[in-house]
Amino acid sequence: MQSKMKESDPILEVENLFASTDNLPILKGVSLTVYPGEIHAIMGRNGCGKSTLSKIIAGHPSYNITSGDIKFSGENINSLEPEERSQSGIFLGFQYPIEIPGVSNLEFLRVSTNARRKFLNKEELDTFDFEELVKEKLELVKMDHAFLSRSVNQGFSGGEKKRNEILQMALLEPKIAILDETDSGLDIDALRIVASGIKKISNAQTGIILITHYQRLLDEIEPTYVHVMADGQIIKTGGSDLALELEKKGYEWTDNFVKET
Amino acid sequence: MKILEKIKNNKLINNQTEIQKICLHKLQSNPLPNPKSELWRLSNKAKFSNFLNYSFNEKNTKFDIPYPESSQNTVRLIIGENCQIKLIKENYSILQLSEDELNKYIKEQIACFDQNENWSDLLNLSLSSTKNFLALKINGSKIPPIEIFSHASSDFLNAKTLVIFLEKNCDIELLQVNLGKENSSLSQSTFFLLEENSSINHGVVSYGENRSNLLNSLNVIQQQNSEYNLGSLHFKFNYARFEISIKQSAGNAKTNIKGMQITKKNEQISTYTKIDFNGPDGFLDQINKSLADDKSHAIFEGSIIVPKIAQKTDASQLSRNLLLSKHAQIDTKPQLEIIADDVKCKHGATISQLNEEELFYMRTRGITLPEASKLQLSSYFQEIISFIPVSKDRWDLLDKLLNEN
Repeated sequence: MQSKMKESDPILEVENLFASTDNLPILKGVSLTVYPGEIHAIMGRNGCGKSTLSKIIAGHPSYNITSGDIKFSGENINSLEPEERSQSGIFLGFQYPIEIPGVSNLEFLRVSTNARRKFLNKEELDTFDFEELVKEKLELVKMDHAFLSRSVNQGFSGGEKKRNEILQMALLEPKIAILDETDSGLDIDALRIVASGIKKISNAQTGIILITHYQRLLDEIEPTYVHVMADGQIIKTGGSDLALELEKKGYEWTDNFVKET
Repeated sequence: MKILEKIKNNKLINNQTEIQKICLHKLQSNPLPNPKSELWRLSNKAKFSNFLNYSFNEKNTKFDIPYPESSQNTVRLIIGENCQIKLIKENYSILQLSEDELNKYIKEQIACFDQNENWSDLLNLSLSSTKNFLALKINGSKIPPIEIFSHASSDFLNAKTLVIFLEKNCDIELLQVNLGKENSSLSQSTFFLLEENSSINHGVVSYGENRSNLLNSLNVIQQQNSEYNLGSLHFKFNYARFEISIKQSAGNAKTNIKGMQITKKNEQISTYTKIDFNGPDGFLDQINKSLADDKSHAIFEGSIIVPKIAQKTDASQLSRNLLLSKHAQIDTKPQLEIIADDVKCKHGATISQLNEEELFYMRTRGITLPEASKLQLSSYFQEIISFIPVSKDRWDLLDKLLNEN
């Protein structure tokens, strides 16, 4: 459906992707292209393959690509390890961020940031320089400095965990960020903070994929394209109107769609 | 099993002390624990035989202390080297127990010994000579941290005993370090008496070298309003047993235990704990962690005994285990024996592998798989290590575990 001529090369190209886990097919021919500056929203019922698509792009070892390609900045990344994908600029914001007791958030963020900086041939930051950088980024998500001395995500509320994800995104400065249900479990204020953080981080050189169930996130961040997924495929693509229509009519409305791609 | 033969024939020790005579006599009539008993059935017989196959040695060779002495005011004692201590300061005193006090206390303990439960203590007390016996009574306030080292010499079996009386209202931090040398066996028995209102943060760090063995037994009696906190770590032993027996003699005391054992190669390390509430309002919070890799075997058996007199007991025992190899083995059995009807007791056990979702999360942040595994292990270790007193500022135990193991 993205037939317009683009001035720059795509950041991400998912080409007719089939994938499975434990021999169970999950993705059944997904195609998606993201250009710099674009925001794509992916919507769909639970179990339709949205989160699986995000994990496969990030390199989750439990899924096998049975056919198709994922290209990032023109290079095929099907066989890259998750850490290599992250270092090269792919960011996955988790629906359920993992707690790591005993590992300080500050140290975790510093190690992650330095892994990305090393890839970009930038100087790695010591604790003091990193504190300066992180202080500035904390502002974006209105997080208190005290969060840094706590263990990664341990004892964080749902909203704090999601803000911590956006903080990581801000520090890693990815070329593409896939945010898996970042809006779930957030109250209105937290949603605004998270959405405002995402908007400030994104720019004309980055791409964003928002996986969501609800229009309320898309009220804050207007998508360039909205895709509807069902049974491991993208069955319809449109503009931001599509999400509004979906909100009104529900997913039943999409049951009769013929696959358009 | 050279030593047992000599014990049976009474040819092992000349000039026996009164305690040695009593214990040797008990062992002569019944030299080995019952291999079918609950406490010994999982014990590797070949490794246990290996423990007993070294020649008994009362002498002590020099050894390297694993971290430098602090510039702070710390009392450092090495069992077998400097057991004569008499420290009388303005606020506190650390003195040797008199022979009468010591004999009386140990004899009372022996009278309650069970052949299987206390076999390690019987062996230890049979072998431990006066010079390898450190017995202290501690009194007062603002007592400096205490470090106590025990070690075995290569090609020998050494026995060391520690007895501590913590007098009323006394509060100490004590780190006990047990070091095994290559091809050696160390028998270490420790006895603590915590008088009313006393409190101790006790650390036990035991690690060996190639083919070293350890029988480490810890007996604690807590009087009312006392608090006993134990952080323990055992690793790098061909064969090690850590046997903990804690009795809250009249209830109304607090016990906190955080212990961990790490096994690799074909090592076997086990922890047995028995917590006995002998009065009401007792409190226990216990967590025991095992990590088993390669073809090793880690064992935990915990027992909490709550008789009728121990109403309002609040006890929790959790065994958390990490299995890193499909050839490794973990046995765990937390148990409750409750007669009292107004108590709050819980126990549980989990065995898992490194969490794949946690690893994936870290990898999506650019952290490599080996680094992510290390971070996950460090997170697993941290809870225990942070509970071990005295060493934490000067001895990077976490680094030692992550890099040497």
